Amino acid sequence: MAWTKWSYMDHWVTETPQGPQPPSFNRASMDRYVKQLSALGFTGFDTFFFYLPVYAGMYGGVPGFERYLQDSGFDKITGIFSAYPSATRYTAPHVRETHDRIVADCTNTLRMCEGLTGVENFIVMPTSTYHQTEPVTDDTIKVVADLWNRVGKLTLEHGMKTTCHFEFWGAIRTREQIDTFLSYTDPELVHFFCDTAQHTIAGVDPIQLFRDYRDRCTGFHFKDTKNVDEHEAYRTPPDPELMAPQVTRWFYEMGEGGLVDFPALMKEIVRSGYDGWLTVEHDKAELGGGSYAEATAVAKWYIDNVLAEAEAEVRAELEAAR
Amino acid sequence: MKDSLRWSYALNQWNVRLDVFVRHEDQQRALKTVSACGFDHVELASGTGRWDNISRPEVILLNHGSHSGFLDFLRRAEVHGVSSMFWDPQAPAEEEEGYAFRTTANPDDHDAIVEWSKPFVDFLAGVGAEQLVVRPVGSAWMTPPLGADGIKVIGDVWNRIGELTSAAGLGLALHYDCLGAVHTAGELTALLEATDPATVGLALDTAEFTVGGIDPVAYYREHADRVTHVHLKDTRYADTGEEYRMPGAESTMLKGGAGRRIERWFYELGTEGGLVDVPGFVAALRENEFGGWVVVESDHGGNPAELAMLNSWYLQHELGVPKR
Repeated sequence: MAWTKWSYMDHWVTETPQGPQPPSFNRASMDRYVKQLSALGFTGFDTFFFYLPVYAGMYGGVPGFERYLQDSGFDKITGIFSAYPSATRYTAPHVRETHDRIVADCTNTLRMCEGLTGVENFIVMPTSTYHQTEPVTDDTIKVVADLWNRVGKLTLEHGMKTTCHFEFWGAIRTREQIDTFLSYTDPELVHFFCDTAQHTIAGVDPIQLFRDYRDRCTGFHFKDTKNVDEHEAYRTPPDPELMAPQVTRWFYEMGEGGLVDFPALMKEIVRSGYDGWLTVEHDKAELGGGSYAEATAVAKWYIDNVLAEAEAEVRAELEAAR
Repeated sequence: MKDSLRWSYALNQWNVRLDVFVRHEDQQRALKTVSACGFDHVELASGTGRWDNISRPEVILLNHGSHSGFLDFLRRAEVHGVSSMFWDPQAPAEEEEGYAFRTTANPDDHDAIVEWSKPFVDFLAGVGAEQLVVRPVGSAWMTPPLGADGIKVIGDVWNRIGELTSAAGLGLALHYDCLGAVHTAGELTALLEATDPATVGLALDTAEFTVGGIDPVAYYREHADRVTHVHLKDTRYADTGEEYRMPGAESTMLKGGAGRRIERWFYELGTEGGLVDVPGFVAALRENEFGGWVVVESDHGGNPAELAMLNSWYLQHELGVPKR
C-alpha cells in the first residue's frame, strides 16, 4: 500500500487576465488549482495564515473553504503556516516584549480554524531573519523557546501541534542551534517540522535530523535544492531567499538532480513508523521560467514512481523481518 | 487510466514553437506530467527539422539511435508507448522535397505524398504504434470547391497510403478539422465512402467537429463502424459565420485575427461553457465497445501541464475513470 497522506503546501502562481497571480485571484482560478492538485492525488492541503481571511471571504468561512476542498477530493486542511520572517517592533520572536502580540495573533488564527475537520500542524518559523536577530546567543534561543512553549500550549488546546520549520536564513539554522532550541522547548508542546531543502542549504543533514528527532517530528516539506550556502548568504539583508548574489534560485522540485536524497529519507520515514502527512512544497517554482503546474506534476511523478519504490523496498524488508 | 477504453495523451500542446521543446530533459518533464496524470501512451505530431526531435521520424531516430532507443526514452518517464502520430502532408517540411507544397486534392501530387508517408509508416510500425492520423486535405480557403470527383481524388491517395499502413499492421485514420476543404457532414461522409473501410478509418475530433458544425455524438452513432481513432477535447464556439473561408483562416479565424476575433477555440474537458457533450460521446464509445485509442488533446490552449491535470481530473471525477 503506497503512502496516501500527501499534502500540498499552498504556493502556486497561475496565469490570470491580470498577469501571474495566486489562484485566490478568483473562484474560477481556485477551481482549476484545486482540480489539478486533486487529479495528481494530493488529499491534504496546507496553507498560510494570511490566506485564511481570503478563503473565508471567498467561501463563507474557512470551514466553507474546507468543504469546497472536500467536494474536490481532499480529506481536509492539514496544516497552517504562520511566520514573522521580518522582525518588526511589533512582532519579533527574539524580543520578549512582542510575545503577547504574537500569541494574540496565533489566537486569532486558531479562531479562524474553528470548525475544521482537524488541522494537525500549526507550523511556525521560530525566528525572523538571521541578520535582524544576530548575535544569536544562548539567551536569544531561550527567549524564542519561551515564546513557542506558550504558543504550543495554546495550539494544543485547539488540537494542533506547534511545529518549528527552520529556514536557512533564520536565526536558528545550524545543527547546534537547532539542538539547543529543541532542548529549551517542551517536547509535549513544541515539535519539529523537517524542510529538506532549508536544512540542506544550511549544511544540516535532514535525514540525520529526522533520525535524531523522530519523536518530535510532525511533518515534512519535500523540496530540493542544488546549493549549500557556502558564502554566508544567510546573512544577506534584507532577504537571502531572493537576493543572495551567488544563488538566484534555491528551491527545486524533487527529481531534478538536487542534493537531497529523498529515497533515503523515504526509507527512513517508513522504517521509523512515522504515519503523518508528507507535504510537497514548491517555493518560487516560477523562477527561470518554470511553472507551478509542471513542477507539481513532476514532483508527484517522482512520488508515484521513485519514492513508491523506496517505500515498497522497506515495507518488504520489514515484512520479511517479522 | 484504468478503463476498458484505451486513453492516450497528445504531446502537441508542448511543442508550440519551433525551438521550445527540444531538450530531452524538457521532454522528460512533459512525459512525466502525462504519466502523473494517469496516461501511459502518447500521440506524437509530425514536424520538421533538427529541433523536432520528438516529432519527425528521421530526427527522432537520429536522437535516440533506434526505435527501441526512443521507446526506452519514453519508458524512463513511465510512458509505455506511442498510440499514434499525426501527419499533415499539406504542411511543408524540409524532409518532404525541401518544403514542397503539395496537396491531396491534386492527383499529380499523389506519388510524392505516398512516398512522403513511408517514414511515418516505418517509424510507427517500429515503435509498435497503431494509427497514422492524417489531415486528409488542406484548408478550404486554399482549395477550390470540391465536387464529387474532387473528393474521390482525395480518397484515392488515402486508399494507396492505407494499403501501406495496412501492410505494416497499422491503421490509417483521416482526421477531420474545422478549416479543411472537406467541411460538411455530407462531404466527410462522401470522403469516407470514397475510401476502403478495410484500410482507412476516421479520426473523430470532438472539438473540431463541433466548431465545424457537425454533432460529434450523432455522427459517431451513424458512422461508428468507420471511426477508428478519437481526439477528445472541448470548444466554446462553433464557426457559425463560415469564418473558415477567410483567407489565412489558420490565423484570421483560429487566432482571432479577424471575424469574431476569437483567439482561442479549443479547451480542456470540463471547460465552462463547453459545447461538446463529452459524457454523451464517451457513453456512445462505450455502447459501441470502441476499441481504438481515445487521445485527450489540449491543442495549444495554455499551460500544457495545467491542461493535462485538468483533463485528468475530468476523466477521474466526471467520467469516473480511475487513474490507476
